[in-house]
Amino acid sequence: MIRFVRDMARVLTMPCREHAALFSRQLDVPLSRGEAFGLRLHIVYCGGCRRFRSHLRHLQSLGRALAEQAESQPGLPADVRERIHARVARETKKN
Amino acid sequence: MHGDILWRFALARTRSNEAAEEIVQETVLAALQAFDAFAGGSSERTWLLGIAANKIADHFRRVRRAKFPGARAISPDATCVCDTCRGMFTAKGMWACVARKWPDLTLSATEKLEQAEALRACIDALPPGQSEAVWLRDILGIPASEVCKAMSLTDTNLWSRMHRARVALRSCLETKFGLRKEKGK
Repeated sequence: MIRFVRDMARVLTMPCREHAALFSRQLDVPLSRGEAFGLRLHIVYCGGCRRFRSHLRHLQSLGRALAEQAESQPGLPADVRERIHARVARETKKN
Repeated sequence: MHGDILWRFALARTRSNEAAEEIVQETVLAALQAFDAFAGGSSERTWLLGIAANKIADHFRRVRRAKFPGARAISPDATCVCDTCRGMFTAKGMWACVARKWPDLTLSATEKLEQAEALRACIDALPPGQSEAVWLRDILGIPASEVCKAMSLTDTNLWSRMHRARVALRSCLETKFGLRKEKGK
């Protein structure tokens, strides 16, 4: 409980520059409960951070679209696979 | 077994069959040489993607040096996200202005694809190393801890690299969506 309050208070007193970094970090690792709650409270009254978070979500959604596009492409062509095998065999022989 | 994934990754980044083939070859050879050093901390697939990411970053460094000597990649410091501000934040770290709302994503599949293509172009303009981290983390969805191992980065390095990249992508997309003018225009 003490940690929760301490983390929340720290987040609520941060400047928005640090909130932005925290929103980004939240995409990579889970924040502590106090940090996450502090951020949620902060965006209730901060339009800049609310917009920044919506832009990050938009970026993520576009990233998923790019991933789907890349996955729909054909895999390694047979001729390229053969050339790679041949080069690996050559290099292995050399060493 | 991992050839298809490496090929799609290299092709999506370089958009050139020749360059993608070279990168996959180099990746396989480097992996064979370093296999004894593979500690198994990440999956084999992530380890190979990490090697490929470094080869792709090298490829773009070479291409940039050859095509645009002295050219600088986009960076969050060089851009801001509204017409009136000089940077994203004031000296006290507060927002200099509230950026505009972006076009709705739910409109149509075609528009989403167009926006995704705009994002791809923005990722290409990031500094090599940053763009590879974005591909591994935000596009391929590899967990942050595995990206750190694959790219030999500490957690803090990865977070700051990803944050800088996302901020730069955000301002690049603002320009692509026509929501603000590029500096100096």
